[in-house]
Amino acid sequence: MISLIIRRALQLLFLLVGISFLVFSSMYIAPGDPASVIGGPTATESDITAIRDNLGLNDPFLTQYARYVGNAVQGDFGYSYQTSQPVADAIMIRFPNTLKLAIASMIVAVILGVITGLVSALKQNSLLDVSATTFALAGISIPNFWLGALLILVFSVNLQWLPVGGMSNPFYTIDGIKELILPAITLGTGSAAMIARMTRSSMLEVIRADYVRTARAKGVKEKNVIWIHTLKNAMIPIITVIGLNFGLLLGGTIITEKVFAINGVGRLMIDAIAARDFPMVQGSVLLVATLFVLVNLIVDIVYTYIDPRIKYE
Amino acid sequence: MNKKWLFLVMLIGLLILGACSESTIPEGTESGGSSSSSEAGDQEIIYASTTDAVGLSPTMTNDSVSSSVMSQIYENLFERNPETMEIEPKLAESYENPDELTWVIKLKEGIEFQDGTPFNAEAVKYTFEKLIDPATAAPRASLLEPIDTVTAVDETTVEIKTKYPYGPLLAALSHSNAAIISPTADEAQDLMQNPVGTGPFKFESWNQGDQVVLVKNEDYWDGAPTLDKVTYKVVPEVSTAISMLQTGEVNFIDALPSEQLSRVESLENVEVTKKDGTPVYYLTFNHSQERNENPDFRKAVASAINRDAFVEKLNGLGVRSNSVLGPQVFGYDESADEAGTAYDPEAAKQLVEENGFGDEPIKLLAANRDNFILMAEIVQAQLTEAGFNVEIETMEWATFLDTARAGEYDLTFLSWSNVTSDGSEMLYPNFHSDNVGASNRAQYSNPEFDKLVEASRTTVDQDERKQFLDEANQLMLDEDAVVVMYHGVVTAATDASIKGLELDPNGQWFLQNVTRE
Repeated sequence: MISLIIRRALQLLFLLVGISFLVFSSMYIAPGDPASVIGGPTATESDITAIRDNLGLNDPFLTQYARYVGNAVQGDFGYSYQTSQPVADAIMIRFPNTLKLAIASMIVAVILGVITGLVSALKQNSLLDVSATTFALAGISIPNFWLGALLILVFSVNLQWLPVGGMSNPFYTIDGIKELILPAITLGTGSAAMIARMTRSSMLEVIRADYVRTARAKGVKEKNVIWIHTLKNAMIPIITVIGLNFGLLLGGTIITEKVFAINGVGRLMIDAIAARDFPMVQGSVLLVATLFVLVNLIVDIVYTYIDPRIKYE
Repeated sequence: MNKKWLFLVMLIGLLILGACSESTIPEGTESGGSSSSSEAGDQEIIYASTTDAVGLSPTMTNDSVSSSVMSQIYENLFERNPETMEIEPKLAESYENPDELTWVIKLKEGIEFQDGTPFNAEAVKYTFEKLIDPATAAPRASLLEPIDTVTAVDETTVEIKTKYPYGPLLAALSHSNAAIISPTADEAQDLMQNPVGTGPFKFESWNQGDQVVLVKNEDYWDGAPTLDKVTYKVVPEVSTAISMLQTGEVNFIDALPSEQLSRVESLENVEVTKKDGTPVYYLTFNHSQERNENPDFRKAVASAINRDAFVEKLNGLGVRSNSVLGPQVFGYDESADEAGTAYDPEAAKQLVEENGFGDEPIKLLAANRDNFILMAEIVQAQLTEAGFNVEIETMEWATFLDTARAGEYDLTFLSWSNVTSDGSEMLYPNFHSDNVGASNRAQYSNPEFDKLVEASRTTVDQDERKQFLDEANQLMLDEDAVVVMYHGVVTAATDASIKGLELDPNGQWFLQNVTRE
């Protein structure tokens, strides 16, 4: 286990260097000049030159990259070109919102997805199964912005049960929970659909296995057959899907954050890309990459808990 | 062993979550939630903005959201009266011109910045010198470029010397980026994060990407405002902002898109204010191209475009006039409304046919914002109807700015919001040959036009200036240098309890006299 963690940490280090180089060079090559955005349409040639000098954008590419890496290893991720705020601060203001949203969405997704998948696997080809698979298909196909807008219209504007948007209260307060409900449903539905599909197919595979038949032949109660013998063995692919989805959600979810006016990492990143705010793009991409690796590590550790046969040397 | 690990991971996760959540409560705000703070009766308003402010220093920013926050915190020496459109003293008391290069400005006495620093000639000198200093790298340094020296003659007298006679100086001084900053505050802290001005509201907190909170300046020199608190909330999606306006989570939004206007107007508790504005949206030729220099080509394009039909699609949020300088801009004359080439599809077809203009494809560049794409699609259809062969190329804003600056297009759409409402501030940056390769994205270069614009800048007599601007405007129209699509209408939608909002034709607004009833 320890060696797994050490190995992953080393991999992460190389990964981060690689990613930072890729992001830095792609932003460097991409059309559009940060100084033009800061100066806006009114800027004169001399305004733009002064802004570029000020940001150090006139230096050669490698000098700029070396300066960035040099500062980053000392924990200084630079300052936003646009707001001149430290990148780390800007991210840390937004990350808690993204984390709250990701966790809440995953709760919705796991509960909804696993139950739907289970029911449809156990009652294969029944009406329940058909409606569950239809739900899964709809969940994957419905765009977030549409579902979000619809939920706002019904639950916030018409029924006035929940706030339209924003996320400014702690998650353990009533207001904080109310703020989370609609975005979590919007975001969780898509993941729930994927989890439901995976649960169904994985359950169907395991339920026909020899050891399940043996268990039943031995007279094990059906409840135990399902929960202990089948579900636990079907869990590995489901956990993989959950982990992957959670990783993606932690990367920020631009559309849901926009529709519900949530100040999250996804919005920060997309705004930074539009403004060619290189340090901010770098910082947020590195954070997302790190989180993705961490979630995968957790998933690998969870595997060993679910299936003791899995061991990491 | 494995169970222990899992438990540990979960525990750490929960701890992080708990710790992070604490920090999401913005400083200085109650944790009671936004819904409770917006109830009528409280002298508070919550405004929804689609983007966050970039920063709160007039010297270091150049965007409209930052300006709208800053215009409640800072003030200028002069301001344009939104009703009469005349420039009037604000922090200044009066001014005189002993000669064409000298402006002696008398300041109001007894005014203090929100940090207690006295507002005086030294503060004005400090502000302007900082804006001009190349080391500052101010995005709007060009605003005061004509200024040579700023001298504090005594406590309340400033003398500004310009390098050449500069007519629009007062308009430039009324620009939000020329607002006066507190020198002590600027030296002690970063005004981008922690602004200090002389205005009716002072800065309370800013949770970046989420909200900016301002509170009443009790010691405001012109009488404290009625509103106790103003919150600028970032709501990126307009339709979400409208839903929030409907539920009372916000009380004020502006810049309504034309397609949402009917929805907002149908809301019971909401009042919509509309005002003819200074922004102008136009189609321009790339004047550095040989084909575009053929007057018949430009005439053919201009006569093929049915601008009336486009303005009708804006649901009343557009004013139709051919004039480059709109009705709310200094230098406009009614005679320009009908000047230039009128819509005449038959004439267009004939010109295209006779000259073979349809043979070569035309690249119509459109930035992916405002309603440029809609404009491009409609104009493409109309030009195709006349026989042109038009391809649309769209790109996002940052790329567009550079592409248009470099002149890599045949036709494109541009706009100008004109914060100072002065015609020179429109014609000089956008069409004077000095600015080709920079803000003159039309690549327009016409010595006769240049002279008129220079005259409008270097003349101090305002009536003469107006004459020069009108001539320059008419010259552009005679040449079909651009095709004006429409002039903007600025809008605000407020909760019915909000009274006294002043909306400027340039889209900015002031909250000093606003109350909630």
